Amino acid sequence: MNQDFERYHRQMLLPGFGEAGQRKLMDAKVLVVGCGALGTVIANMLARAGVGHLVIVDRDFIEITNLQRQVLFDENDVAEGIPKAEAAKRKIAGINSQVKVEAIVDDVNHTSIEKLATGLPGVGKVDLIMDGVDNFETRYLANDVAVKHGIPYVYGGAVGTVGASYAILPHTVAPGETGNSEWEKLGKATPCLRCIFEQAPPPGVNPTCDTAGVIGPAVSIVSNYQVAEALKILTGNLEVVSPTMLNFDLWANVFKQFKVARAYDVGECECCKKRNFEFLDGKFGSSTTTLCGRNAVQLTQKSNGQKLDFDEIAKRLESHGKVTANKFMLRADITDNGEPYELTLFNDGRAIVKGTKHANVAKGIYAKYVGA
Amino acid sequence: MADTVIVRIPTALRPQVGDQESLDVAGSTVGDVLSSLNGDYPEFGKRLYKSENEINRFINIYVNDEDIRFMENLQTPLKAGDEVSIVPAIAGG
Repeated sequence: MNQDFERYHRQMLLPGFGEAGQRKLMDAKVLVVGCGALGTVIANMLARAGVGHLVIVDRDFIEITNLQRQVLFDENDVAEGIPKAEAAKRKIAGINSQVKVEAIVDDVNHTSIEKLATGLPGVGKVDLIMDGVDNFETRYLANDVAVKHGIPYVYGGAVGTVGASYAILPHTVAPGETGNSEWEKLGKATPCLRCIFEQAPPPGVNPTCDTAGVIGPAVSIVSNYQVAEALKILTGNLEVVSPTMLNFDLWANVFKQFKVARAYDVGECECCKKRNFEFLDGKFGSSTTTLCGRNAVQLTQKSNGQKLDFDEIAKRLESHGKVTANKFMLRADITDNGEPYELTLFNDGRAIVKGTKHANVAKGIYAKYVGA
Repeated sequence: MADTVIVRIPTALRPQVGDQESLDVAGSTVGDVLSSLNGDYPEFGKRLYKSENEINRFINIYVNDEDIRFMENLQTPLKAGDEVSIVPAIAGG
């Protein structure tokens, strides 16, 4: 056995793995989008498994309230104020020095994601995109890139005691044409995320981990399930990639595997069937403007015109600080990572985050406390 | 309760149905069952429906393990003991 591979002995014993499988992992490049609860588990487990090259991108810093579930971080990281991606890189260096890590501290948006997935210097096109994201806009962006460039993408989401995961082996061509990917040759292509969820939940509708809470096991189960799917994909065991979507609620003791294959056959997906990459093209999603001289950032949502439910949002934000609302706007005082912010929401989803000049920070506040 | 199905309510919508995780509801189609729930819990219906006959597109409904969009949608027939799961897109992470 190759000396470098000794540490992987136990996983190489698995059928369909072996030294050949390990070699594939070592040669693989994986983009981990988001390095919070899901992303830390994903990065940790992929590094331990010997995935050779990881690109970890996250816009955020580590807070004390992250430590309950974000397994790569500790109290020193909070005290030192280290960005999540950078802290993850440092931890992984001590866990497995055979793994190369690119830590990118930045926002993922429609102008940046294609480069992250296909054109980083020294990396090039990645073999897999892992979802460690806390909002649907970024997920649809990841999904668009995955489908456009033929990169497998493993979705995961968790909040409260519930979680969901699903591996996408994307169709790389329009229906009727013959795709060249390994999974298409095997007849194993699967519906994309937009086949399954046609639209993102409007802002403020879904609970977020910061408003509704979350327990560590919910995120660990989802993210480790994502890693299992990743190991199948990267070692070339495509025939055993799950064709179903996992969905569970740990508090209600319900585990489900929903069938999704027909979503592609019967549906009219804009993304993987019609090859319209609307999120990547900037047609949907949010944009930010720094408000000059006001220490504030405005976020504009291109949504489906649905009005925000201020009553619901107010209820969720009350535990964070003072909330006032009338029928035009909601204003909430929020302390995030020790810094005070004032969030003003308009009923079309537009928001002004006061207390920062940085778009990244404002988007983080919005994703955490309003949800998109 | 021979003619009822079990409806699984997602966390986000439980406050609108008296904090119940699941309910036994009578009805012969998915549409029947959901409109019966809507009658009992209008606030729940407000969050589920986009318009009178359309479910919000970020929420999927499964009967047992199949998506109703790829069966007969709200007309999908139900038999006693079927499980109807209301599954919103999960955004956290």
